[in-house]
Amino acid sequence: MKVLVRKVDLVSILDCSGDVDLYSSPDLREKLLGEMKSGAPNVLINMTEVTYIDSSGIATLVEALQLSRQKQTHFGLFGLRNNARSVLELARLHKVFALFDNEKEALEKISTIQPFAGL
Amino acid sequence: MRIVISSHPRLLNVLRSVVKYRAQQAGFPESDVDWLAMAIDEAAANVIRHAYKNSHEGKLALIIQAFPDRMEFILEDWAPKVNPEKVKPRPLDEVRPGGLGTFFMHSFMDSCCFDDNFDAGNRLIMVKYLPRKASGSDESTSQKS
Repeated sequence: MKVLVRKVDLVSILDCSGDVDLYSSPDLREKLLGEMKSGAPNVLINMTEVTYIDSSGIATLVEALQLSRQKQTHFGLFGLRNNARSVLELARLHKVFALFDNEKEALEKISTIQPFAGL
Repeated sequence: MRIVISSHPRLLNVLRSVVKYRAQQAGFPESDVDWLAMAIDEAAANVIRHAYKNSHEGKLALIIQAFPDRMEFILEDWAPKVNPEKVKPRPLDEVRPGGLGTFFMHSFMDSCCFDDNFDAGNRLIMVKYLPRKASGSDESTSQKS
């Protein structure tokens, strides 16, 4: 898996590619939480090229979501493939995360994300 | 078929590839193939994290057996015994990191249980039945390992 971080105005986008599993999720966690802790006000993960995600990857995303709520910043995902979306749906997390179809939509809407009361 | 790997998470993708290949051969639909690979991945990841406590020095063996109506996946390790009560799926009401691996395993498999008679470590037996097919369909479902 590869994770590259880029900036579009005030939004940090993490472009991920490959499998997110127990081996690779620590790298995603380090970069994702590192970006948030450095004060990024808006963070998006580009999931377009993510071919697989397991429970350790999901745990990383939940951790990031909780951190974004604590810091009152915005966090979302876009471009999920069907398999990743199905995994989130099975875990009943698809309504907890802000999910967008593509980068354009995500950039337009990320600042409107409301905190989730259950966190 | 039996495959043995060290308890290194880098090798989980090998297990996923093998499971996918064997499940495709056995005639599972593509959607089930992905779920099966994930279930085995989660089971093996649990062994690495909880039984071997992230040590890469251990070994895992995956035995795959194909029958006309089902596939059986037997995952063995030689770590200290785990308490099966501690590896039950957690409720999904709580939104928190962790604890989903066992939930995924139980969701995809038709049965999933520990073999108490395996004294050397832990043996997890997972079974997935093939979807029912019309008679005379895909002969690959009758292959044996």
